[in-house]
Amino acid sequence: MLKFLGFGLRTRVYEKRAGKQKRLYLCFAVKLACSGHKSYDGCHMNKRAVVLFAFWSFLLALPALAQAPARGIPRAADGKPDFNGLWQVLGTAAWDLEDHNGSLRMPAGQGVVEGGAIPYQASALPRKRENFQTRDINDPAEAACYMPGIPRATYMPFPFEIIQNPKLITMSYEFGHARRSIFTDGSPHPDGFPDFWMGDSRGRWEGDTLVVDVTNLDDRTWLDHAGNHHSDALHVVERYTMTDPDHILYEATLEDSKVFTRPWKISMPLYRRMEKNVRILEYECVQYIQEQKYGNAKPVGAK
Amino acid sequence: MRRTLLHIAVASILAAGVLPSVHAQRAQDQTPAKWTPARTPDGHPDMQGLWARRGAALTEANAPKTPLSEFGATGQPYPTVFNTGVSTPQAAAALANRPAGVIEPANRMLPWRPEADAARREFLSNMIPPASLKYVEASARCVPPGLLGGDDRHPYQIVQRPGSFVLMYEYNHVTRVVYTDGRPHVGPNIRLYMGDSIGKWEGDTLVVDTTNFNDKTSFSQAIPFHSDALHTTERFTMVDPYIIDYQLTIEDPKLFTAPIRIAGAFAAAAKGNEMLEFACAEGSQTLPNIFGFGEFPGQ
Repeated sequence: MLKFLGFGLRTRVYEKRAGKQKRLYLCFAVKLACSGHKSYDGCHMNKRAVVLFAFWSFLLALPALAQAPARGIPRAADGKPDFNGLWQVLGTAAWDLEDHNGSLRMPAGQGVVEGGAIPYQASALPRKRENFQTRDINDPAEAACYMPGIPRATYMPFPFEIIQNPKLITMSYEFGHARRSIFTDGSPHPDGFPDFWMGDSRGRWEGDTLVVDVTNLDDRTWLDHAGNHHSDALHVVERYTMTDPDHILYEATLEDSKVFTRPWKISMPLYRRMEKNVRILEYECVQYIQEQKYGNAKPVGAK
Repeated sequence: MRRTLLHIAVASILAAGVLPSVHAQRAQDQTPAKWTPARTPDGHPDMQGLWARRGAALTEANAPKTPLSEFGATGQPYPTVFNTGVSTPQAAAALANRPAGVIEPANRMLPWRPEADAARREFLSNMIPPASLKYVEASARCVPPGLLGGDDRHPYQIVQRPGSFVLMYEYNHVTRVVYTDGRPHVGPNIRLYMGDSIGKWEGDTLVVDTTNFNDKTSFSQAIPFHSDALHTTERFTMVDPYIIDYQLTIEDPKLFTAPIRIAGAFAAAAKGNEMLEFACAEGSQTLPNIFGFGEFPGQ
């Protein structure tokens, strides 16, 4: 019924543009809408017919107006928002989560931290400064191609793919072919698991928002190339909310009683990659770094 | 009342001696040929879940001895914390009588080009100790495994979406997205460790065509490389709830003069297993040990 109504409205627009030829379609649509009232001819409506047509159109459109925003978001078979596809962050969070000026190989950028500054405990600041000074050789993601951890994997300047099914949402990142599983089957974080580079993720839906609880994060990852860091007590809660078919609002709250004075939050949009035939390719930095480091070296004991 | 009527009906059938034929009918229904898979919403066999891959390997008759022991280039035993033993008893039983490894050529004498076989033998002789970086066993360098270099002690996860079939390896956390939406391969100058895969359904069989490989992964310990001319065709057919029949055809005209066919299977994992994280390069001491330098300072 709603589809039919849409048809009617669409032909109205066509009629304005295309003139008489499309007028016939409009007549057909109006006739259908007024079926049961023999006296109403779509092309020769009297006032009562117009009022009745408008009234029914309004009633029929009500549920559509209430349920769907101007641009409906795609939905999976189970009715949840459909996040399947390739996504990527623009902006410079990968280099520095806070406000920063440009420097060589480092684009300037406005921070993504709510309130402006990361609330470090005084004892955690020296490490941050040292990391920053030595970032070109010590950044685990950039200098060694270690898996970036969460949340950094999200905003590395590479696309990632969301592969969604009702009980398991996988995020496959182009950077170093990192990947993580978000279990949405109601299971809790397992007891006694070790720390993982990408953590242990358990998700649930709050309305149309995917909420992911991440624990078991390895303390050797950094939060960005500026050396912002955390401990093994890091607990991240991420929220993914589709704001229209091609954008997801990404929010993450970071809590770490050993490093920060309070929980703090970052947020940024994820943009859908829409190029024709686009797909995740390979950025195998482990191999590139090996080649740079050992490509011309001789193994110990080599002939 | 209805139940009483049903009882009477059943009793009459029994009295009429129909029971034996009912039994016979049922037995026929349970033959494997009659089994039909559950379907995804878009109508294809539903293969989603966790699987153990078995049998898919380039088993070669008269293969040259490799200098790598079962411990590979590291000389260290593999850790034993992996997701082993994920198979179900039903799958293990079903696997027992299935073909595995090279099935064509039947004698498993691979159709080597003589110059490629010579290059392979020369390569093997340089692996222990490795003459240079490229002679270090691929798995020790955390090279993505290609189609055959995976370690089958790790499970595989299959997820299906409209327009694509996703095969995830726990081993080295590799993800293969096989597009079935009719899109073409990527351009010929894009070269990938895992190749570029597109698929199509032939009835209930998924046929996967993979091209755009680079020449940096290995087939096996005895065949430590392939060429960038590699082209593979895989066929996934679910034959019962516990087994996906897996057929792989390898064409590498720079190595072999004819296609090679391999048979294997994906066997259902027992319920309750999850894919874990497999980290390879992170914290690895293999290359610093081999070269005597290069430990990552972030350790």
